[in-house]
Amino acid sequence: MISSLSFINQKGEILIYRVYKDDISRSEITQFCAKMIATKENKESPIINIDQTSFIHISIKDIIILATTKTDVNVAMVLEFLYQLSKICKSYFQGILDENCIKKSFVLIYEILDEVLDYGIPQIADPNLLQKFIQEGGMQQEATISIDKFRSLTGTITGAVSWRPPGLHYDKNELYLDIIESVNLLISAKDTVLRAEVVGSIELKSKLTGMPECQIGMNDKLLMGKQARMTKQNGGIVIDDMKFHPCVGLPKFEKDRTITFIPPDGHFQLMSYRISENINIPFKVNVFYSEISENKLEIRLKIKSIYDKNVYGTNIAVKVPVPKNTVNVVSATGLGKAKHEIEEQSVIWRIKKLQGDVETSLRCEISLGATNRDQTWSKPPLKMEFQIPMFTSSGFRVRFLKVMEKGAYKTNKWIRYLTRGGDYLHRL
Amino acid sequence: MAYFGNNPQRGELQELYADLNDLNFEKKKEAVKKVIAYMTVGKDVSDLFQSVIKCLEFNDIEMKKLIYLYIVNYSRQKPDDAIMVIQNFRKDVRKSENPLVRALAIRTFGCLRVPKLNEYLIEPLKDCIQDDDPYVRKTAVLCVPKVYEVSPEICPPLLELLQKLLEKESNALVLANLIQSMREIEVVSGKQIINLNQKIIQKLLLAVDECIEWGQIFILDYLASYNPQDSKQAEVIIERTLPRLSHINPTVTFCAVKVILKYLDFLDNGDLVKNLCKKVAPSLISLLSWNQPEVQYTILRNISLILQKFPILFENEVKVFFCSFNEPYYIKYEKLDIMVRICDSKNFGQVLNELLIYLNEADPHFVRKAIKSIGKIAITYDKALDKAVSILVEFAKNVQQPTEPVQELLIQMQLIYKKNKSMYKHEDSLKFIYSIIEYANEPESKSACAWILGEFGEYIPKSAEKMKEYIDNFQMEDRLVQLQLLTSAVQLYLKYPSQCSILIQQLITSAKDSFNPDVRDRTYIYWRLLSTDPEIVKTLVCFNSGAVQNFSKDLRLWETQDLVLALENMGSISNLFHKLPHQLYKNIKIKINNQQDIKIYKGEEKQEKQENQAQVQQSENQQNNKQEQQQQQQDIDLLSFDDPPVNNINNNSNKANLFELI
Repeated sequence: MISSLSFINQKGEILIYRVYKDDISRSEITQFCAKMIATKENKESPIINIDQTSFIHISIKDIIILATTKTDVNVAMVLEFLYQLSKICKSYFQGILDENCIKKSFVLIYEILDEVLDYGIPQIADPNLLQKFIQEGGMQQEATISIDKFRSLTGTITGAVSWRPPGLHYDKNELYLDIIESVNLLISAKDTVLRAEVVGSIELKSKLTGMPECQIGMNDKLLMGKQARMTKQNGGIVIDDMKFHPCVGLPKFEKDRTITFIPPDGHFQLMSYRISENINIPFKVNVFYSEISENKLEIRLKIKSIYDKNVYGTNIAVKVPVPKNTVNVVSATGLGKAKHEIEEQSVIWRIKKLQGDVETSLRCEISLGATNRDQTWSKPPLKMEFQIPMFTSSGFRVRFLKVMEKGAYKTNKWIRYLTRGGDYLHRL
Repeated sequence: MAYFGNNPQRGELQELYADLNDLNFEKKKEAVKKVIAYMTVGKDVSDLFQSVIKCLEFNDIEMKKLIYLYIVNYSRQKPDDAIMVIQNFRKDVRKSENPLVRALAIRTFGCLRVPKLNEYLIEPLKDCIQDDDPYVRKTAVLCVPKVYEVSPEICPPLLELLQKLLEKESNALVLANLIQSMREIEVVSGKQIINLNQKIIQKLLLAVDECIEWGQIFILDYLASYNPQDSKQAEVIIERTLPRLSHINPTVTFCAVKVILKYLDFLDNGDLVKNLCKKVAPSLISLLSWNQPEVQYTILRNISLILQKFPILFENEVKVFFCSFNEPYYIKYEKLDIMVRICDSKNFGQVLNELLIYLNEADPHFVRKAIKSIGKIAITYDKALDKAVSILVEFAKNVQQPTEPVQELLIQMQLIYKKNKSMYKHEDSLKFIYSIIEYANEPESKSACAWILGEFGEYIPKSAEKMKEYIDNFQMEDRLVQLQLLTSAVQLYLKYPSQCSILIQQLITSAKDSFNPDVRDRTYIYWRLLSTDPEIVKTLVCFNSGAVQNFSKDLRLWETQDLVLALENMGSISNLFHKLPHQLYKNIKIKINNQQDIKIYKGEEKQEKQENQAQVQQSENQQNNKQEQQQQQQDIDLLSFDDPPVNNINNNSNKANLFELI
């Protein structure tokens, strides 16, 4: 399995270095770091094999986490593990992972590394669980914690419900649900839809007492088809694929598509899903580029929101690509503001709020500087970012969420929907 | 941070030494931290060994962990000092009530990797394997391969214990670690350690539902290397694995895909196979758009394998592989590769339209690859030829610089003309290609240009002049270009004897003294033949259209007999590099082949038919080739000076090669 793990900064210096097997030397890693820093860029593949040694790395902002191995390991597992590790570190450092916090808390990181891998084999990588027994500055009340506590802890770690400790208590039981959809869209220059896909997720924040079992149901066509009463007008939607948090009972889902789970405490992603049929594309975009003269270009852009009138799109940003040699941009907008952003090589048109069923437009006159005319401008696609609360592009809806626990158990539930632009591209 | 960046000067070491031996606990702890910090940046602090391990007397877990880290790092350098720690470990294992401490001790003990210390380890390790606490057991189980690596001779009793545990263990996590640990030993020893029976398989399948994600991966990975006894068992295992397709960890999903695909071969029920394929496909597609590019990349690298064995999975799914604008290039390259493989006589239009867009990208390597892909499709699918050529011609029209894509364009056009000579008429393609000949600056593209000049001299204005330019620089050219120039110049001479006679003389003079024997030999042959009988030369240098082999064989990445083995290893490093494990790792034995026989005839029905067809086609091709070969045997004999000589002995397989040289 994994021979060693290192955290490396931008300069290629090793910040953390932990060996799990004896088959790698530090100099091999320093050499590799030097090489990687020299070549940089993401053209190189994340897995490099030199003389039977494999270097597998991911980059989290400025930090590179590198694993090495000399055996024929499962690469996807190593990569996924590295990502989990970065999440663990972030959970300890308030969401940030940078050189500073690594240097400041290196003792803690070594402690984590000791626990998450043994002999290079991934072990516990659940941040919530780790925080139960690894803490900055050591376990505070170590002496006062009884041996029984430790025993119950190891029981939880190795048990079937490792994600939730027993004996939680809240005065008020609360559940917050967020359904977040990203629309990935690719439209050709001829205005045909090449790809439309929604990748969604259900984020849950649970503050529940005890060990409640929950069941969630949505307008999944396959499930609703079985329950004949729901067939009238809304037959449900086709979900291509769903992926669940470990807490969801997968065999049961496979059997009859019911989703039951004992939730972890706090915030977690319950599931993610992918839908490719009947996507409601939220915006219709028309763009025209026309060359007025040799050094003048005109762009006309029209956007129409095609969602319901009582729904509002927010923080809309349309990135309209312009040539490198753009000198000046004069723009007029129906709504919002447009600005030339040089480092993005585009005019970015921002609209704070856009009601459904509204059309608005942008007109830009672009002055081009003198340049080598031989170089033709390869137009990158136009990209859109947006957020539309209380709207789902796929039509996804949660129908119910039941919380089952003994006694008089009352739960307050809150639900929000949000659609945002993912890889939302129009080719020009 | 003061810990980092400084060298431990002698004074500093002394200071640390003093602090470590201080009576104040906090001071000691700070000092230990500093020692670890030095260790991290690669400074040698092994001299402090004794002072550091003295600090173990405190009952502080954080400190203990740090010291253990230190010991693990330096135990091999200081084996004699390390012995002193053993009592501490044994005490912890035997006496501590805290399972975390017991586990920590045994884990670290295993990491010492000093042969003579391992003897002391056996007894406490045995205790831990039988500990009441599953956390200790799961840790102890992983200690065995650590010991095995250093001192295999003392391990037999431990291995027995593991096998016993395999039979009676009920905790899912321990079981998963146990399987992984035994597999590690199998890799090191090359022997089979795990003895399976029905009951154990049942237990493993149950454990998949209960243990953490990594454990699920270990078990699924193991199951993928197991061969079920019959269709029934295969069905049970698949049924138990199916739910894993919905796990949020992409590796769990991918392993489940692997297990299911592998076991499909063993199923009798054709309908079931189809149904399963329908279930697997969407899961795989989700993984392909996974939001971590690195994970996406590893999956993509495995797709060509799946595609070759299970083409049904991606029927009508070519869109999944369209590149997105801001993806990293390593992903785009893979997708491009797959698009060519997935392209067929139905969807080629869609694929070509997409490739056309990529020609606008900024990265020249990527554009080059896109052009190569277009060329490949044109050569493989006759129906696609027209469209592909018009795309390439359109690209040629805008060329103004000797860029990388231009080189590829010339190379691909040469191949297309070779395959189908009449294509030069298509949309005046020759005219536009000829107009960019001056931008050729790589040996291969130059040789392609020389070939075009010789072959189509009569349709090209001033072809002799252009040829002269090349010949003027003959000495500077690469061997590949020189050889092609010789043939092409002779071709041109045969077409315009009067115009080119001076040219050919100039060429022969400069080539006959070449340092390269191939160039020299070819020059002499042509020289003599030309002076005796130019008609023979004609049959020699004039090219037969249609001789470029169908490239579809080229699109198949894996040898058919390797497919099953490769599938078992899906997701591994060797597979990532499109190799079998023993091809990448010298120490891995070639897997025994009796399995391979089973694979082929037990393969999925539909699949087998296709494969048979492919094989029939191949052999047909070969037969055709043989016939052609015999017709042209004479020509080839004349060329027997070309390298490598092997070509001529079994030339039916290397025909395309030969023609490039002609």
